[in-house]
Amino acid sequence: MTNTITQKPLSRRLLLQGLCGLAMLPVCGGMRVSFAAGSGDARFVFIILRGAMDGLAAVAPYGDKNYTQARGAMALPRSALTPLDDFYALHNSFTSFGKLYTAGEAAVVHAVATPYRERSHFDAQNVLESGAARPHGARDGWLNRALGVMHTASKTPGLAVGQTIPLALQGSVDVSSYSPSGDGLPPDAVLIALQGMYSGDAAFASALSQAVGIHTLADDDGMGKVKGGRGKQAMAQTVEAVGKIIADPNGPRIATIEIGGWDTHAQQGLENGALANNFATLDAAFGALKESLGPLWAQTVVLAATEFGRTVAGNGTGGTDHGTASCALLAGGGVNGGRVYAQWPGLDATQLYQNRDLRPTLDLRQVAKAILRDHIGISAGDIERDIFADSVNLRAMDGLIRV
Amino acid sequence: MSSLQAFIAANRFGFGARAGELDSIAHDPIRWLSVQMDARYAPSPAFDGLPDTPAIVRGAMGQMRSMRQSSADPEAQRQMQRDAQKSMREDFIHEAAARTRAAIASQTPFYERLVHFWSNHFTVSSTKRQSLPLVAAFERDVIRPHIMGHFGDMLLASTRHPAMLTYLDNARSIGPNSRAGKRGGKGLNENLAREIMELHTLGVNGGYGQGDVVALAKMLTGWTVDMDGRGTNGFIFTPQTHEPGEKTLLGIDYPDSGVAEAENALRRLAVHPATATFIATKLAQHFISDTPSQVNINTLAQSFMRSGGKLSDVYRTLIALPDVWRLPLPKIKTPNDYIISLMRAAGSDIDDRRLAGAFRALGQIPFSAPSPAGWSDQGKDWMGGEALLRRIEIAQNISGVLHTRIAPDALLAQTIGPAASDMTRSAVRRAGSPAEALTLIFASPEFQRR
Repeated sequence: MTNTITQKPLSRRLLLQGLCGLAMLPVCGGMRVSFAAGSGDARFVFIILRGAMDGLAAVAPYGDKNYTQARGAMALPRSALTPLDDFYALHNSFTSFGKLYTAGEAAVVHAVATPYRERSHFDAQNVLESGAARPHGARDGWLNRALGVMHTASKTPGLAVGQTIPLALQGSVDVSSYSPSGDGLPPDAVLIALQGMYSGDAAFASALSQAVGIHTLADDDGMGKVKGGRGKQAMAQTVEAVGKIIADPNGPRIATIEIGGWDTHAQQGLENGALANNFATLDAAFGALKESLGPLWAQTVVLAATEFGRTVAGNGTGGTDHGTASCALLAGGGVNGGRVYAQWPGLDATQLYQNRDLRPTLDLRQVAKAILRDHIGISAGDIERDIFADSVNLRAMDGLIRV
Repeated sequence: MSSLQAFIAANRFGFGARAGELDSIAHDPIRWLSVQMDARYAPSPAFDGLPDTPAIVRGAMGQMRSMRQSSADPEAQRQMQRDAQKSMREDFIHEAAARTRAAIASQTPFYERLVHFWSNHFTVSSTKRQSLPLVAAFERDVIRPHIMGHFGDMLLASTRHPAMLTYLDNARSIGPNSRAGKRGGKGLNENLAREIMELHTLGVNGGYGQGDVVALAKMLTGWTVDMDGRGTNGFIFTPQTHEPGEKTLLGIDYPDSGVAEAENALRRLAVHPATATFIATKLAQHFISDTPSQVNINTLAQSFMRSGGKLSDVYRTLIALPDVWRLPLPKIKTPNDYIISLMRAAGSDIDDRRLAGAFRALGQIPFSAPSPAGWSDQGKDWMGGEALLRRIEIAQNISGVLHTRIAPDALLAQTIGPAASDMTRSAVRRAGSPAEALTLIFASPEFQRR
């Protein structure tokens, strides 16, 4: 498959590229750049759900005979659910994701967890993002290590949506952050002066160089500024702007988006409420990515995952406490979709982890490995040696990605 | 030498220099810091007229309750709710600005830095609606009075405060075997108990397990918000929701003794060796570097243990460490510290809403950390391309107004003068306009590090 993308005038790009010594653009002799599938063009977007998403509310195992009794007050009524099959049902807030699932472009991995088995958000997020087997087992993120072994023409291969870089993307490969709500780059004279001033401070020099790189791609100069804020509309606007950057032939190959607010200890709600609103925000990200990536959606995988799940039963305050397994949501043309991937552990008291949590039967690193190997095209050897060095016996999930 | 030490003191331990401040610190930088520790606690006039905790509980929370019980029609009720939320938001912006102004105007910026440090350690956040009206009062009533005192007193005050009790969901946690619990449908909430051990005292590797979390959660049942004015400072213990029976925490048995169980447990946790190490590590990461040496951490932890958690003793140990007086300054100011530094250097005032806008633009709204762990204290979590651009935007905005009042040479001398590099001096000298020169000073690494 070949796509053609029209680019904006190059004058400022060329200036900036000279300015910060970045060879941003391939020599293309004109305004059109083309790329083909299977040549390092695949895109991967990792949506980090901070705070521990209740996976049993996102994708309810309504066909499990113990579902209603085990979840008690947290059990969703059938009116709040859209069945995916005769066992799993999607929370109604996931309208876009539901359509993608029906179209075979979205999948669910259930009863999945990182290798972390305690209940600290912060250690668990560290494991989710570092990709190590234990908290603080690595100082960099698994996505940055992936960038280190990828073959790509992009000079800004990694992009964090937001002002700063989450651990998942931190490491030795320089990555960019971008948020469409700012004014863009300062005037050229200031940029030149800043570059001189930062030449003695690596952290500032690198941040400036990355900012110039990504804003040259975005070519926004503060035009079409997006209003910040929370909620599904703000998310859709942000993701649409970001999708356009990712869709550029020289755009980032791996991007992260962070969504917080999942720590629903009290009054999480059922069909409506705080959790349902969060689902709608996440759903908006999926919808906006498909919309804005255009033809590139066919070469994209989006993974949304959280640090751990929540207790099966509700607690005393209309919410749920820290648990273990949750579900992960995948979408994109690269996903072998329309399926729920799980080895269902059951919800009977004897089947739960420590008598309280959904028992993990899959490891998130199996999902990650499948994406890196079958979608990005990193060799299994590189994955085991450089990216997930302490999990050699953990197999990539076969069949999850279209190959 | 002393001017370099003044620069270090003003930035590593303060919020950057106000006009003329470097000269006065330079007389005796150590004394400048220790005087701030000796001052007796007195409520700052910056907070005159702001309500205390019981008044907020009576007012805002009582209002929410009366709305729920109101018999007005649904649309009128919704309107009341919207009005109440709007006025709460406005109060919050006012409170956040008062806090920031106190830091901007402060003659004791080391003290203010410590307030912000401990406020972040015991995070309560406006991101939870029920806690929003109380988060600023938490800092005034829990953090400020205990800054120089014993850690255990701050821990107890924090755990009793309605902001913490609502933020970490303890207010409605109910012992399953208590009188209220037996009536059914209600139960424990582990959130506060877990975060006290993980985030406030022992640290995540401090040697506790899930059983300890449940035990402390049971001890904390009945610790709740005083809605009716019968308790003290917004706190009340309700025996009818307290889980009866003996509890075992970290191998120590606590006999059934109501409110005293958690009080005793918290006092023990406050002086636990793991707590000493955890607090020492956080202080070292905050004031020394993102990756402090084990030697410095141990020295601080020993000071904590020796003094039974007397915080002013630990700070005295900190400012006596040779490493804190070395250049270059390795840490990057958080957005909060950067904005306060800018305003101190500018010496001008700014209205509440614009101040709120600056914090929002840089992603660090006061009292609004995204999780109970508080804001990150690591440079790599604050420095990214986009984050840097936002700082430069704010520097440009301030410089656009300021350039008529202060010359670049003067601003450079009074802020980063003793430490300014040749590169920075040369960029400022060659700037195309005075406003651009000021922007460059504010955007320089020397101005942004501490």
